[in-house]
Amino acid sequence: MSLLEVERLSKNFRGLAAISDVSFAIEAGTITSIIGPNGAGKSTMFNLITGYLPLTAGEIRYRALRITGMATNRIAALGIARAFQIARPFRDLTVFENVRVGALFGKAGPRDVEATTRRALELASLAALAEQPASSLTVGQLRHLEVARAIATRADLLLADEPCAGLNPTETAAMIDVLRQVRTNGVTVVLVEHDMPSVMEVSDRVLVLDAGRLIADGPPKTVATDPKVIAAYLGTPDAA
Amino acid sequence: MTRNPVPVFLLVAAAVVVLAAGPLFLPPFYVRVGQLMLYSAGLGLAWAILGGFAGYASFGHAAFIGVGAFTAGLVEARFSTLPTALLLPVGLLAGAASCAILSALIAYPILRLRGTFFAIAMLGVSHVCAEVTNNIDFFQGSMGLNFPPIAPASWDPANFFYEVYLAAALLILLVSWQIRRSRFGAGLLSIREDEDTARMLGVPTERYKRTAFVVSAVLTGIMGVIYAHSLGYITTESVYRDDTNLSLIVYSLLGGMGTLFGPVIGAFLLVFITQVILGRLLDFHLFATGLLLVILVLAAPGGVAGLLKRKRAAT
Amino acid sequence: MNLIAQTLADGLVLGGIYALAAVGFSLIFGVLHVINLSHGILVLMGAYLALIFSEMLHIDPLLCIPPVMAVLFCVGYAYQRFLIQHAVDRASVNSMLLTFGVALMLQNAMIWVFSPDMKSITPTYAFTSLKLGPVNLDAVRLSALAASLVLLSCLAALLRFSPLGRVIRATAQQTMAARLCGVNVRHVYALTFAVSAAFAGAAGIVIGIILPFSPNDEGGWTLNAFVVVVLGGVGSPAGALIGGLLLGLVSTLTAQYIGPAFPNVTMFLLLVLLLLVRPNGLLGNAFAPSR
Repeated sequence: MSLLEVERLSKNFRGLAAISDVSFAIEAGTITSIIGPNGAGKSTMFNLITGYLPLTAGEIRYRALRITGMATNRIAALGIARAFQIARPFRDLTVFENVRVGALFGKAGPRDVEATTRRALELASLAALAEQPASSLTVGQLRHLEVARAIATRADLLLADEPCAGLNPTETAAMIDVLRQVRTNGVTVVLVEHDMPSVMEVSDRVLVLDAGRLIADGPPKTVATDPKVIAAYLGTPDAA
Repeated sequence: MTRNPVPVFLLVAAAVVVLAAGPLFLPPFYVRVGQLMLYSAGLGLAWAILGGFAGYASFGHAAFIGVGAFTAGLVEARFSTLPTALLLPVGLLAGAASCAILSALIAYPILRLRGTFFAIAMLGVSHVCAEVTNNIDFFQGSMGLNFPPIAPASWDPANFFYEVYLAAALLILLVSWQIRRSRFGAGLLSIREDEDTARMLGVPTERYKRTAFVVSAVLTGIMGVIYAHSLGYITTESVYRDDTNLSLIVYSLLGGMGTLFGPVIGAFLLVFITQVILGRLLDFHLFATGLLLVILVLAAPGGVAGLLKRKRAAT
Repeated sequence: MNLIAQTLADGLVLGGIYALAAVGFSLIFGVLHVINLSHGILVLMGAYLALIFSEMLHIDPLLCIPPVMAVLFCVGYAYQRFLIQHAVDRASVNSMLLTFGVALMLQNAMIWVFSPDMKSITPTYAFTSLKLGPVNLDAVRLSALAASLVLLSCLAALLRFSPLGRVIRATAQQTMAARLCGVNVRHVYALTFAVSAAFAGAAGIVIGIILPFSPNDEGGWTLNAFVVVVLGGVGSPAGALIGGLLLGLVSTLTAQYIGPAFPNVTMFLLLVLLLLVRPNGLLGNAFAPSR
């Protein structure tokens, strides 16, 4: 049984198809990247899985449980967490308090809250900043905070939306490290990412979306040489 | 903030003893000022459970003062044969119940609105309740409603109500404190900061908002019931007051939005300013409150608590 | 039948005035995203200024519209530039509280200067009336309605066709893009506020000739403006007109058929209901960026 199964998923915005008929499954313990040109529907996919947007057709199952149509907070409580691309910290709270909210809620509820919070901060290498107000962090640190808060929910599945976008090479390397750590701790990771070197380096598997359709699915090496993928990114010769 | 709970606890306990002993040494005028301070502090704390913690600033909490007060009055009139000592508990129960029912009924629709829309819709609720009370004879809003004297014969009524206000304010402080340090409180704060993100982290935002709304309404209603008894006679105008609607926000702004003691500090300060410093200049109250509001927004958005924090950070 | 026609006619007149009194509030809300709780004060300023001008100069109150609008234009510009701008950049509740504070201060000041008593402006033609079939319309009400409609059309034209209108709309839709194109956003905000204040003042004059007014009404006019905006949608004169007429009709119909005490109750029930069904009002936000 796969951890997450997406079956024939479609989403229309006022008749415009953002996702059409996409199916895939995510195996536990893997890092999967979803890539694709701008507007391919990557972030929409996350919005659908987390219940933030209602879907038009299809079904999403998590541990064989149908989660389509569930409230966002219930889905979170089942163990799916999300880190936003544009970090959305609780600005007036400290880093510790931010992460603590994840530990208090999320999956399994309030057990060992302080310890869970500390562990998540360690994992995202934020322990030194625990008492800082979230509003004082840099962009890179805020991304770590997003991941720490998501991990603190004890999620089994982390959806990370472009965690490396806009980061410099050092910060990107640090983020990749954190994501590996997360996986080592038994959390399955799905990434949406633009930064190709990071994708190639970290992923076990890559899904490619183009204009709402799944056009490739496989190990990074295979996908990178897939003519359909190259065409989607560079345009077909006759179209260009 | 709560890293050294013992000294804070001792400080509060000492303050309570001093406050409770107040009527023994204060002249009558200051007992009345004290009553008003405790009443305001209680209301400010109740308001802040929703407005300060969850960030849903209501412009219409006087609705619950009025509903609580009028329900209590009407119910107590039906139980006029009861011993006097039981009247206030009966009134409190009735007032609290009516506020709970009203707030639970409107919670679902009104909490779908955010920010300013919620604030104004609550003002609407307050005005509608006032008009209904005033224009339907059953509620006797325009004619007025009498409350029997409930203070024990041996006790000066002013001193008696001072102690009742103190007890109620302490109860509300205790409730806020328990909420602030609980999981529920952390959830409310996360709603204030970013509701969508809170939901993504598994916070049951809708249920928490509704609960905070009902708790805040019930506690406000309790204060309203006591207020009505201390006045002895109420009309629509004396309980559904727009300046109350405003003051509740100013207390938190002045003391520090979202902090535990902020509303208490704010209420004490504002009552002191209007009643003692400007006591003789009744015409000037509105102007002073307005000016204070302008200065606060422009110069000290964090209130007194914010100023203290900034000072501590600077040293 | 006659009663219904008369009630509807009264509702339309009232609605026209509500629309005019709300359009400035709507514009500020749409462009600056500020809930101006001192809007009612600006309306009353117009009424009191017209009272002073028309008594001093012995002219028709409607002729006071240009000078009053000019005065309030300046007041509005300065108000935004020196006070509100400092709160705009922070949370929206802050600017709302700031304008609320100003409203309290000015209401208090107005009571000192003009006394809390009801005042009214009486034009020379106050007792002329016209009979249109079964409906009685006095000259005052008719001129008030006409003035409202003319002023609303002027504002609509200003926003639609003038360079100023174009800059205002651009700023409202894409503040950042407008700034990048060299628009001085603060200046545009202040101009928007000035235009809004001017129209609020004009509304005050029109209100003054058909209804008595006192400093205590300011909250009522602000709330009316809010309701109109929610009913009709943010930012456009057309939205204000629809919202205003709807509110006018609901008020007069409720007062006539349910009871004179209940217009506010129906108004707020309508408001809350509408907010639930359409959080952005009937016409939505005229300035909402297109996606």
